[in-house]
Amino acid sequence: MPEQNPKKNESTGGCAIGYSDTLEVYIAKITELLTSKDYKISKRALALLLLQEDQEILKGVQEKDVQNFPLIEGIIQEAKRHYTQPLNYIISLRRQSEANQITSRIMSFGKSPLISMQERLSRIMMNPLTGGPILLFVLYYGLYKFVGTFGAGFLVDFLENKIFGNYINPWVTQWVNAVLPFKLLQDLLVGEYGVITLGVRYAFAIILPIVATFFFAFAIVEDTGYLPRLAMLVDQLFKRIGLSGRAVIPLVLGFGCDTMATMVTRTLPTKRERIIATLLLALAIPCSAQMGVILALLEGRPLGLVVWLGVIIFVFLLVGFLATKIMPGELPTFYMEIPPLRLPQFSNVLRKTYSRLKWYFKEIFPLFIFASLLIWLGQITRIFDFFVRILEHPISWLGLPSEAAVAFLFGFFRRDYGAAGLYDLKKIGLLSGNQLVVACVTLTLFLPCIAQLLMNVKERGIRMGIAMSVFILFFSFSIGYLVNLILNFLHISL
Amino acid sequence: MRKIAIVGSPNVGKSVLFNNLTGSYATVSNYPGTTVEVSRGKGKIGDEEFEVIDTPGMYSLLPITEEERVARSILLDEQPAVILHMIDAKNLERMLTLTLQLLEAGLPVILVLNIMDEAQKAGIRIDSRHLEKELGIPVVEAVSTTGKGMDVLRGRIESYARAKS
Repeated sequence: MPEQNPKKNESTGGCAIGYSDTLEVYIAKITELLTSKDYKISKRALALLLLQEDQEILKGVQEKDVQNFPLIEGIIQEAKRHYTQPLNYIISLRRQSEANQITSRIMSFGKSPLISMQERLSRIMMNPLTGGPILLFVLYYGLYKFVGTFGAGFLVDFLENKIFGNYINPWVTQWVNAVLPFKLLQDLLVGEYGVITLGVRYAFAIILPIVATFFFAFAIVEDTGYLPRLAMLVDQLFKRIGLSGRAVIPLVLGFGCDTMATMVTRTLPTKRERIIATLLLALAIPCSAQMGVILALLEGRPLGLVVWLGVIIFVFLLVGFLATKIMPGELPTFYMEIPPLRLPQFSNVLRKTYSRLKWYFKEIFPLFIFASLLIWLGQITRIFDFFVRILEHPISWLGLPSEAAVAFLFGFFRRDYGAAGLYDLKKIGLLSGNQLVVACVTLTLFLPCIAQLLMNVKERGIRMGIAMSVFILFFSFSIGYLVNLILNFLHISL
Repeated sequence: MRKIAIVGSPNVGKSVLFNNLTGSYATVSNYPGTTVEVSRGKGKIGDEEFEVIDTPGMYSLLPITEEERVARSILLDEQPAVILHMIDAKNLERMLTLTLQLLEAGLPVILVLNIMDEAQKAGIRIDSRHLEKELGIPVVEAVSTTGKGMDVLRGRIESYARAKS
């Protein structure tokens, strides 16, 4: 049946849209049947949502208009039969044409400027040929140079050796030893794993400069609008391995914080996509803290960095590919709002860096202190040594010295804490290039922190969350083992 | 305490407006989908203190994703006294459909045409007085990042909320 012209419905106010006469009849019929007084939005809007079979609204109406509900359902079915296209489509189309009409009356275009610099740059960023080099440029200067060399190299060295090494540690140690005559308490505060000499030092001298520079660089990149363009660029690659492009959004955000990004997987429309994205986030996307300390560990070993990156990308593609094979499903079409390129506002960048840093420190600082306490307790009771001895086996399979077991034990709390421990070992020259790469690979693949484990459980349910964690635990050690094996087999030393 | 809800598509400046009205800080990025959870804060407009709610982005009153569902439930369940529908003035045509849906639902809407600076740069001219008449609701032009239009918006919220009570 041909559609009649839409008409204005005068009864519902100045600007209400009129739909086609046929649809208006269905709307009127449903509106009449909505008799409950509990509805918080207009009955007309409710009728339209019902016609589009909005599950939440259907449920609400079923509860509030129990008697009329079967009749309403009947009308919905009748309306659906009447149209060949989905009602959702018809209604949206009509609304868009109304919006277009209004816009045409109130909006005018002046001389449209030629393709702007911004637009040209934007296209260059999304083109696979030119986008790749730009990505490398951003990674090299933003990450490697700024976070790696400046943050993890220069700043850490300054805070660690100059401030803590020359001033704070000797001064505090002397003071504590003078005031507290008990060896046990001295160890708690200023011992090998002391709250101040280890916990506070890790937090302020190693983690703070690295994470601060990372957050700063990330905030700039984020505010320019580069990330959605990166998503479009990677989308083309993702489609080849059978992953939906939409998943790029939380995955890219994961480089900031995996825990937050896991929450953002809510924006993905299907359960299957959410599971795959959560797994990839937990496994192969290092968060800013991990990335920072890994850059610090591999600083001065560009070849090691390349191998580490290669392994992580390989694992990412492999697991993504396998996951999509195990859980096949239709690929949803990907479209995304591309915001314009903007010059970042310096004040916003600073404020964002500060607020993220504050949030991050609020979470890690108590944990670092708590871990120091726990280790102290573990040492007194000898439980600590027991765990370290157990861990030494898998550690030796990875070809790492037994001292690394301590770092891995820390790593169970938080990966950045563990990596900071490895950093200490690197400094005294205990780790070779190969060992550093193997340790970095294993620590990257690990779940980054307890918070993310909890978030996985919260978002994906207890069974899926635990299953993922167990898988990741074994998988990360296996890959570390393999990398060590291959490096040795090929007689490569990095 | 009466409520003000900020709604709109992702990346139109909702969080900036939230920060402006409440004086608190929600993370702001040039990246769609940054706000997944609802932020709440208090803000004084005129003599009245309101609870201001920043919602995740929504394209339509008919939700597709979880975050859109969250945003809609605020409109449906919390009955805000004023709903600020924020749109990117450059994309007026596409984003106006949500305004139409909000009006259809009988909700108390103020339309905020944000990012006017970029629209003007792109050569777009908008007659917001005329749009106000077409829609029958207040329409305010703004550049939330620089604070332009915020005083006008506060004034419109105040008189709109007073007329309602």
